[in-house]
Amino acid sequence: MKTITPDRLDQFFSSLEPVWELRLPILLPDGTRVIGSLNDGPLALHGGAVSGKPTAAFFPQQSTLFTVTDGAMQEPPPADRPLFIVGFPPRDLACLRFIDRFFADGWRDDLYFRLRQRATVAGLSGYCGPGGSLISPAGGDCDLEFFWDRSNWLVTAYSETGRKIIAGLPETATPEAAELFLQVPAEFPDKNETLIRHASELLRTNRVPESFWAEIGDRCIACTGCNLACPTCTCFGVQDWRSAKKTERSRMWDSCQLDGFMREAGGHNPLGSEAERTRRRIHHKLAADPQKWGEISCFLCGRCDAVCPTGIGIIAVARELVARFR
Amino acid sequence: MTRTLTVCPYCGVGCTFYLVSDKGRLVGVEPSTTHPVSRGGLCVKGWNAYAFVHHPDRLTTPLIRRDGQLRPASWDEALNLVVERLQAVQAKHGKDAVMFASSAKATNEENYLLMKLARAVFGTNNIDHCARLCHSSTVTGLAETFGSGAMTNSISCFDQTDVILVIGSNTTEQHPLIGSRILNAVRGGTRLIVADNRRIRLARHAELHLRHKNGSDVALLNGIMHVIIAEGLADREFIAGRTENYDALAESVADWTPERTAAATGLTADEIVAAARLYAGAERAMVVFSMGITQHSHGVDNVRCIAALAMLTGNVGRPGTGVNPLRGQNNVQGGCDMGALPDLYSGYQKVADPRLRDKFAHAWGVSSLPAEPGLPLTRAMDAASEGRLHGMFIMGENPMLSDPDQGHARKVLENLELLIVQDIFLTETAAVADIVLPAACFAEKEGTFTNTERRIQRLYKAVEPPGKARADWEIICDIAERAGYNGMRYTSPAEIMAEAASLTPIYGGIAYQRLAAHGLQWPCPDKEHPGTPIMHLDRFTRGLGHFSPVVHRLPAELPDAEFPFVLTTGRTYFHWHTGSMTRRTHLLAREEPHSFIELHPDDAARLGIRHRDMVLVSSRRGEVRTEARVTDMVIAGVLFMPFHFVEGAANALTNNVLDPESSIPEFKVCAVRVEKMP
Ligand code: SF4
Ligand code: SF4
Repeated sequence: MKTITPDRLDQFFSSLEPVWELRLPILLPDGTRVIGSLNDGPLALHGGAVSGKPTAAFFPQQSTLFTVTDGAMQEPPPADRPLFIVGFPPRDLACLRFIDRFFADGWRDDLYFRLRQRATVAGLSGYCGPGGSLISPAGGDCDLEFFWDRSNWLVTAYSETGRKIIAGLPETATPEAAELFLQVPAEFPDKNETLIRHASELLRTNRVPESFWAEIGDRCIACTGCNLACPTCTCFGVQDWRSAKKTERSRMWDSCQLDGFMREAGGHNPLGSEAERTRRRIHHKLAADPQKWGEISCFLCGRCDAVCPTGIGIIAVARELVARFR
Repeated sequence: MTRTLTVCPYCGVGCTFYLVSDKGRLVGVEPSTTHPVSRGGLCVKGWNAYAFVHHPDRLTTPLIRRDGQLRPASWDEALNLVVERLQAVQAKHGKDAVMFASSAKATNEENYLLMKLARAVFGTNNIDHCARLCHSSTVTGLAETFGSGAMTNSISCFDQTDVILVIGSNTTEQHPLIGSRILNAVRGGTRLIVADNRRIRLARHAELHLRHKNGSDVALLNGIMHVIIAEGLADREFIAGRTENYDALAESVADWTPERTAAATGLTADEIVAAARLYAGAERAMVVFSMGITQHSHGVDNVRCIAALAMLTGNVGRPGTGVNPLRGQNNVQGGCDMGALPDLYSGYQKVADPRLRDKFAHAWGVSSLPAEPGLPLTRAMDAASEGRLHGMFIMGENPMLSDPDQGHARKVLENLELLIVQDIFLTETAAVADIVLPAACFAEKEGTFTNTERRIQRLYKAVEPPGKARADWEIICDIAERAGYNGMRYTSPAEIMAEAASLTPIYGGIAYQRLAAHGLQWPCPDKEHPGTPIMHLDRFTRGLGHFSPVVHRLPAELPDAEFPFVLTTGRTYFHWHTGSMTRRTHLLAREEPHSFIELHPDDAARLGIRHRDMVLVSSRRGEVRTEARVTDMVIAGVLFMPFHFVEGAANALTNNVLDPESSIPEFKVCAVRVEKMP
């Protein structure tokens, strides 16, 4: 385990730039914290999960699949440098692990893995949560992890690439610091964890009436934000832009909260009401995914709750559901 | 991966977000988590605002019509021709034979410049923009009663109010991030009255849903005021201290008993009494309104009634109260503020006032400015068909689809001696132009937009415009220069704002370096002023608030045997106006792919029309084919149709009858017939 003092962080990251395309938590001019490049704003490792989903680095809102010009097909050129992304707290790493499985399953999503495969991912944990709160370390699921012990960053590598990256760091962590890292309970207790399991149980045992979904659906303004903000939402739409000589096919994040998402060409829609779409949004994560993938696919990052203009993100809905049907 | 802060190009709520770009291409948006309005969220249009920017249909080069075809031309050719032909029309028919249409999608700086171009360079007050079609009634009605036509309060006030009356606004669809605040407020205990006969989302959360007849708002509001006075619920102290002409109002509503109101509105007397008690009984109550109030041949009267209702109950000048017209376009507030209006300079300064004319003439370095107010946009088509108007310069508007009575508008536009259109796509209007100038869109330039709560916010340039397209402000300056005027040389929009601020008292303290991330709310008269979240605090802008009594007038065209339905028009959540941007945005276009008309199940059954049948809708002006949507959103006897779609255009049916004072067309009521297509 290595340590790095906060004043040397910028220099450390900059030294990686010739080899890697760096993406780090930064502070934008209006105080929004996102994963970006150092040109966009000052480094901001503190504050927990960033607002946008960090998995967007591999699955951006819109990406070109290919272009056809005068009959010749072209794929977008590969990036000149692989990505090095810092800023995944453990919950975001769990999301990443989930979508890695999803995109690899069956038909392998080439576009995703083109970016993902060469990338190096760094976790974030320690006393760097909102207001200095503790985020317990992931202890894996990434190439390396930065842990804030309130005065320094402890850096642990879990992969060969991770080890190479931190090899150059001079300082080795003191035994006390290393012990602190190990002592932090691996399963950080979180009441939302119990809540979401309880809600999942209620759904899987069919204890939630349709009227509940109608009531929640009435409050959904179909902004699609919950889906777009969710690191485990993977649905996309496809469009072709045609001009005289060129066709460009691209994909963009889609949302099951839209009527058009499931509408069939003949007009029939198996998700034709807000109630059904709302039910699906929650049911998919808490009941369908556990069945297919063996785990609840909401890892409680909190983004849909933060982005929903009417307060019906998944945690809010789970809370309401448990309160009423427990 | 680069992020550029910007302001949403769609509605007047004014959410900000970051445009995410990669190697010069936009790849998404990311909401601002700190913005006081959007607070980390966006509506579906905001989330997709990046998606039309690189569309292959973007205009990339100037076009000049030759042998009946629009053909690519250089900027030099196109702009020289613009000047030459505008001057030729003026030489032949007089200065006022040309009209400039500005745009509520363009920045404040660009609106300021176009009005300066019209007035200082081409010597005409014929400048207007689409505010004429949306809130001109508000500007007129509130200027008379309060002295200022803007939203009195701030969006944050929705978190601090006890009762909200929403009348003629489908807020969750048209101002979604205000609509969602209303939904949240209701969850927190705020009580909601919705007066709108469509069963909009807010209606499902309302304590009272008043489904009054289209065009009966004056009756409804007079009836409510009658009850308030009769039951002693009026705020006597406020009336005595802050207002004038109360007695005339009291007299005018004296015979609007609940029974008479019920007969005129189609409601029950109990509903009217309940609404009055709920609104007047609140410590803090807000009124929210939009096009359902303004787009009538008596739109100004509707607004007068709303102003009176708020004053009657002392609901002005405090947090959580106020008269809150929600402005539609992202910068329609700014378009008005900047004087893209035929009778006003920036800051609502009257062109009729010789001192103000001198002030502007002096600042702009011209010897004189025209004194006669110009033509409102909605009178332009008639003026052209009567031979008084021969040339139009249209920046970023599409009247071919957005004007009432499309058949008439088309004929006029096609027959103009000169039509110049500056836009980002080849709209239906641009397609018939003589010269088309390609403009940069919101993501490709700098400037400011002013949202509905008067918040002036900056947008920053994220990507380059396509091809040879240029920012509207650059094009306007170039035209001025070529017309021989040297008073429009700016190196950046910041300089334009500095000039506008120096001439516009309510923007006096606005400067780019002060706007930072969250902007400032006008009135902001000087460089130290912190901006004004709530207006009319201790006194109204005009001094005392003025009660303007109103006589109920019926809409101009009512259903009869031949055209037995009321048609009301509006928008859907997923599209913006004539769809030039949203219909080129995959997810939005997929959501509402084509034109439709809503009709009540009882009417549908009677006419043998089933859901998704094709129907023919006709009025005295025209007919369109569209798809039937059978739904209880509407009441029996009323049809609703959005105006976004060129195929099945609602405005082929609407009636170009205008409010005599604001010149707003009566988009909300006309008579039609509907029948199943054979
Ligand atoms: S974020 Fe909320 S309002 Fe938006 S689509 Fe999701 S649930 Fe609906
Ligand atoms: S509410 Fe209005 S400003 Fe906000 S994202 Fe939607 S369209 Fe844009």
